[in-house]
Amino acid sequence: MTIDRIADKVAAGGRIDAGEALALYRCAPTPTLGRLADAIRARRHPGGIVTYIIDRNVNYTNVCVAKCSFCAFYRPVGSAEGYVLGFDEIFRKIDETIAVGGGQLLLQGGHNPDLPLEWYEDLFRAVKARYPSFRLHALSPPEVIHLSRLTQKPIGEVLDRLIAAGLDSVPGGGAEILVDRVRRALHCYGKATSAEWLDVMRHAHRAGLRTTATMMYGTVETGEERIEHLMRLRALQDETAGFTAFIAWSYQPEHTELAGSEATAVDYLRTLATARIVLDNFESLQASWVTQGGKVGQLSLGYGANDMGSVMLEENVVRAAGAAYCMDEMEIVRNIEDAGFIAKRRNMHYEILGDPIFRDREIPRMLALSTSRTGGGGSSPEELRMYSARSLAGKRDRRQD
Amino acid sequence: MPVSEAELASLASTRDIIHLGLIADDLRRQRHGLRTTFVRVADVPAVSVEPPVLPPAAGEIRICGVPATLAQAVSRVAQVVAAAAGAPVSGFSLADLEALAGAERAPLRTILEELHAAGLELIAEAPFDRLQDARRAVEEVNIAGLALARLTLQQLESTFAVALYQAVAALQRDVAVVRAFAPLPRLLNPAVPTTGYDDVRRVALARLVVDNVPSIQVDWSRYGPKLAQVALTVGADDVDAVSAIDDAPEGRRRAPLEEIRRNIVAAGQSPIERDGRFEPR
Repeated sequence: MTIDRIADKVAAGGRIDAGEALALYRCAPTPTLGRLADAIRARRHPGGIVTYIIDRNVNYTNVCVAKCSFCAFYRPVGSAEGYVLGFDEIFRKIDETIAVGGGQLLLQGGHNPDLPLEWYEDLFRAVKARYPSFRLHALSPPEVIHLSRLTQKPIGEVLDRLIAAGLDSVPGGGAEILVDRVRRALHCYGKATSAEWLDVMRHAHRAGLRTTATMMYGTVETGEERIEHLMRLRALQDETAGFTAFIAWSYQPEHTELAGSEATAVDYLRTLATARIVLDNFESLQASWVTQGGKVGQLSLGYGANDMGSVMLEENVVRAAGAAYCMDEMEIVRNIEDAGFIAKRRNMHYEILGDPIFRDREIPRMLALSTSRTGGGGSSPEELRMYSARSLAGKRDRRQD
Repeated sequence: MPVSEAELASLASTRDIIHLGLIADDLRRQRHGLRTTFVRVADVPAVSVEPPVLPPAAGEIRICGVPATLAQAVSRVAQVVAAAAGAPVSGFSLADLEALAGAERAPLRTILEELHAAGLELIAEAPFDRLQDARRAVEEVNIAGLALARLTLQQLESTFAVALYQAVAALQRDVAVVRAFAPLPRLLNPAVPTTGYDDVRRVALARLVVDNVPSIQVDWSRYGPKLAQVALTVGADDVDAVSAIDDAPEGRRRAPLEEIRRNIVAAGQSPIERDGRFEPR
């Protein structure tokens, strides 16, 4: 089928298959892709509203046994630069988030063998006891799989326990490209196969949680594999309708074992537009200004995105790999409005919370994102001694050997 | 101009950047096909007595900064030319040279002729909105035997873009020597940066309005690879200020030459390296 015929099919609201999606991604002129994607966005969001959320990406530990070759954030077990945040540190971050109008943490971390499931449960309960309405958007599928392996308990049971402790929703991290050839090449097959990642999301959706879906592209995958990733997400969404949004970002190469270069801005816009066209059962697509910068982030709103993501306050993972963009609420809203849209705050469920906070009260400008812990490692939090460690280094640190 | 005044007024305020970009891209293709040129530039400071160490990959050696005196400028030009090994040497802002002429109580043409005699080939930039008499100043550059590397804008409010571009087009009708126009402002306000929509709109409108200048240029180092690449899809056809230092401490694919070529190809275009004289290398 020619590009024009496929474009006509998309414009008429038809669903395209993988071959048609690949043809569009590879051969359609960039403005054509943008036009098609923008029309779908306008149909789904006719009010011209572009949303954003005020939250904070907290990484509770950087200690990780997964050793993905594209990751610049992790430290191996026993590293002097390894850290685990204490409950009090996390509470302080929540206080700071609430102070600027935020209502959620995006809480993710490394696969630390010295943090048992009970640590997570206690943390979630403590957060909910202290901040009852605060949301925990926490633990991507590979972290849930890691906990399942640590506890030797099935995914469903781990998720049930986390939900009982206070888990509100699951972030879509760790998807990378949901094709096992790619995952093997990136050394992330061991942390979660494509089927395992999707299975965690299936469990979460059946348990009543909403989740996001992501794609980290621009490493070793082919165009076909990028499309296959989208097709797998679309199929699960047909089955469960549990994804709230899709977020694509480009691999950030600095300080990683994989190294190489970053995909270009035009590739990002083409990928985003293709995703909007393929993922016809997803309500929302986020712009990744964190990896693309504010300018291309804003241009994403013309290529299918209807959400500017998070004000974020803190980010550690992509910054470790070289991306250092920062936008506070005022800047995000300025970009949304400059593009001709209406800016609204939302929660993780994409429910509108209201107008920009800074228009109601004075919020300090934020010129740089915070980090989990300045200077990396440090002393272990006191409460860690209450939990059994599995690694020798962890046992020594907690004097459990 | 390829669009009517009424269409232009509508496009100037549009938020449909894809539509605007399509029109500009079409014009760009009519003029340049898929060719996108770029130049690798080595900057050297105007105020220094140290002999410059110049990367051999540079297609243009650019003397940057404001000379205190004509003698200092002439001396520096001679020093840089001697080290340039035949690479074209550009230098200075024409607005700064206008000011220098005032301070030296010398005609602008005298200043320009002395710089040319010292070996300068091109005036690096003529900031249209800073020039006291743009037409006269650009004509003096030409009469003095120099070329103008690029016409620039120091500052640009969105609301004035079209009017300013029309003035630039009018200047070119008079002087006919402007080879490249860089429509994005040189002076950036980090507290309120321009947005992606602003930049795309400005580049596209420049292609529509300043249709008598061959190249619409974007600055790689000032605006960054992402915005610069997008600009190539909405009317720009030339990339200025690519680093001439081709070290690759982070791998061959991230060396400047490889990166610029990769970005141009990923934008669907064909990269052509040029020198400061706009000749292919």
